[in-house]
Amino acid sequence: MKALCWMGKGKVEVHTVPDPQILNAHDAVIRVTRTAICGSDLHLFDGFIPTMEQGDILGHEFMGIVEDVGKEVTNLRKGDRVVVPFTIACGNCEFCKKKLWSACDNTNPNAHLMETAYGYSGSGLFGYSHMMGGYAGGQSQYVRVPFANVGPLKIESDLPDEKVLFLSDIFPTGYMAAENAQIQENDIVAVWGCGPVGQFAIASAFMLRAARVIAIDRLPERLEMARSIGAITVDYSEDDVNVLTALKDLTGGIGPDSCIDAVGLEAHSNELQGIYDVVKTALMLEQDRPSVLRQAIQAVRKGGTVSIPGVYGGLLDKVPFGAAFGKGITMKMGQTNMHNYMKPLLERIEKRQIDPSYIISHRIGLDQAPDMYKVWRDKKERVTKIVIDPWLA
Amino acid sequence: MDVVEYRAGKREGTRHEKMASRRLLAHKTSLCVKRNYLIFWGEIMTDALKEKPNAEPLPRATSAGVVVEGRYIPPPEDREGRSWVRTTAHVQADPQTLYQLWSDLENVPQWQEQIVKVERTGDRTSRWTMQAGDKTFKWNSEILAAEPGRRIAWKTIDGDLQQAGEVVFEPAPGNRGTLVTLLQEFEIGKWKSATATIGNRNPKQGVTENLRHFKALAETGEIPRVQGQPHGPRGIVAGAKEAMYGERIPTPPGQSRAAQTGSGKS
Repeated sequence: MKALCWMGKGKVEVHTVPDPQILNAHDAVIRVTRTAICGSDLHLFDGFIPTMEQGDILGHEFMGIVEDVGKEVTNLRKGDRVVVPFTIACGNCEFCKKKLWSACDNTNPNAHLMETAYGYSGSGLFGYSHMMGGYAGGQSQYVRVPFANVGPLKIESDLPDEKVLFLSDIFPTGYMAAENAQIQENDIVAVWGCGPVGQFAIASAFMLRAARVIAIDRLPERLEMARSIGAITVDYSEDDVNVLTALKDLTGGIGPDSCIDAVGLEAHSNELQGIYDVVKTALMLEQDRPSVLRQAIQAVRKGGTVSIPGVYGGLLDKVPFGAAFGKGITMKMGQTNMHNYMKPLLERIEKRQIDPSYIISHRIGLDQAPDMYKVWRDKKERVTKIVIDPWLA
Repeated sequence: MDVVEYRAGKREGTRHEKMASRRLLAHKTSLCVKRNYLIFWGEIMTDALKEKPNAEPLPRATSAGVVVEGRYIPPPEDREGRSWVRTTAHVQADPQTLYQLWSDLENVPQWQEQIVKVERTGDRTSRWTMQAGDKTFKWNSEILAAEPGRRIAWKTIDGDLQQAGEVVFEPAPGNRGTLVTLLQEFEIGKWKSATATIGNRNPKQGVTENLRHFKALAETGEIPRVQGQPHGPRGIVAGAKEAMYGERIPTPPGQSRAAQTGSGKS
């Protein structure tokens, strides 16, 4: 089959590799009909996530048709159409029982690598480094899905792939971000980053009864998209815009009830701190560039909540913990507990409460993916979301 | 001989040793301790705090145990020629089931890395074969203690490896599954332990991974694996890193007996 492989920092290539096989009794093999490039794939592309190795197959947002199942798979059969969550969960451990699926104890074969870095290991992820399990990803024509009794969501309606594909990661991730933001009715919510996760965080904040959502980005196409679903936008790249002032101005001086950092470790900033982070990460004295996180902590109202769906990887510098303590804020974060959200959000799509395909800007075949990774990284061609049909010639 | 004596007799001076000798002392003076390794906590607790509705009875002390008389004891420190590893797992199954899975010696190759065969040679003895690449290690092992649903202790008698160990199964607080604590001791030099290892795997890491496999098998009926999946061209560096990550060590098959006979859980 054809698969998109990570070949080093800034380098991805399509290679012909063997088809995946059933390796365990609870495995399924899926023929991928649609897959997407995630913003967090750029962290891999840019070499921010350790233990990515040459030859690793990328991709954690995908869906398709069940091609084969292992002998213990009871709820899927060949021909079923499924969306697969990017976090792999066993369903039986202490964490799965608590519905903390992304903290599953049993799905990371390289748990010891993550324990070294983080103390404990989270669940295995598709196509997201050896530390996160070393599982081959889904930017390929076929993919092996472990613990197939637990993860894949069957799509039984005739909704097109594009409307349900984002249930594999970004829609639930945006939704959990809004849930983690502890939004109360009529709250004011600020969202940094109007990429796909930010878009769904904005949409979800409204669904969870926020009155006002303030969206912060610098790319006109993304800000336009945020306004299209009802947000008030702040373009931080404009010379005379100061985000903290803007958020005070838009909240009567008290600050947003909740702040959502949908940017993560590769934040851009035109302030002094942005230069600080670029220099320190270049010198390998800092792993992440947390300028959005700093700003969100600074901006949130007293007793408010900072929710972090953006990915962070390592040790962060100069995070204003004093401000966090001084205001008594709550911070919630983490990989998405996918399995809690896929079904309820599918129902919302089926009821036409939301059509997630509105974020798609590019539809490509696998062969164009290496070039599109660069377009995606450099935010050219008004790119907002790239969807891949791996069978497109 | 009993594991408590075995350990206490050989280790001196460290903090752990003090605890061990305390246990040995208790062992000689109290029948209850001798039989069950129980220590009565009531004797050291006051009634200053009465409001603790869900407080667990404190864990009992065993060689592998992490608590003695309400105090946490750290894992034993390595010394020249002797290496220790203590590791624990929280498993969603009852102690009896886990005890049985552990005691099923012929089934051990399903979850312990590089163990290809275990044959029973007597009531308490067994013969083990380990295949690590092109190297074969063989040894005979003896069960020193077997308390159904509670603990198992063993020690090698002769062969290519010298090790002893104990595994303890205790109900987790609030009966949220079972806490499994494993203590294993190897006769192996510090240098060798740090570098060469047994069959390309540091034996300490091997013990940790084996308990992880045991938990996964008990909870899910399989052991997670990525070996055998497709990938693009690796090149020299990525190949070397695969070995460094331990990905070249074959993941055990992970078929429980129940699964093998077709009555496995999902």
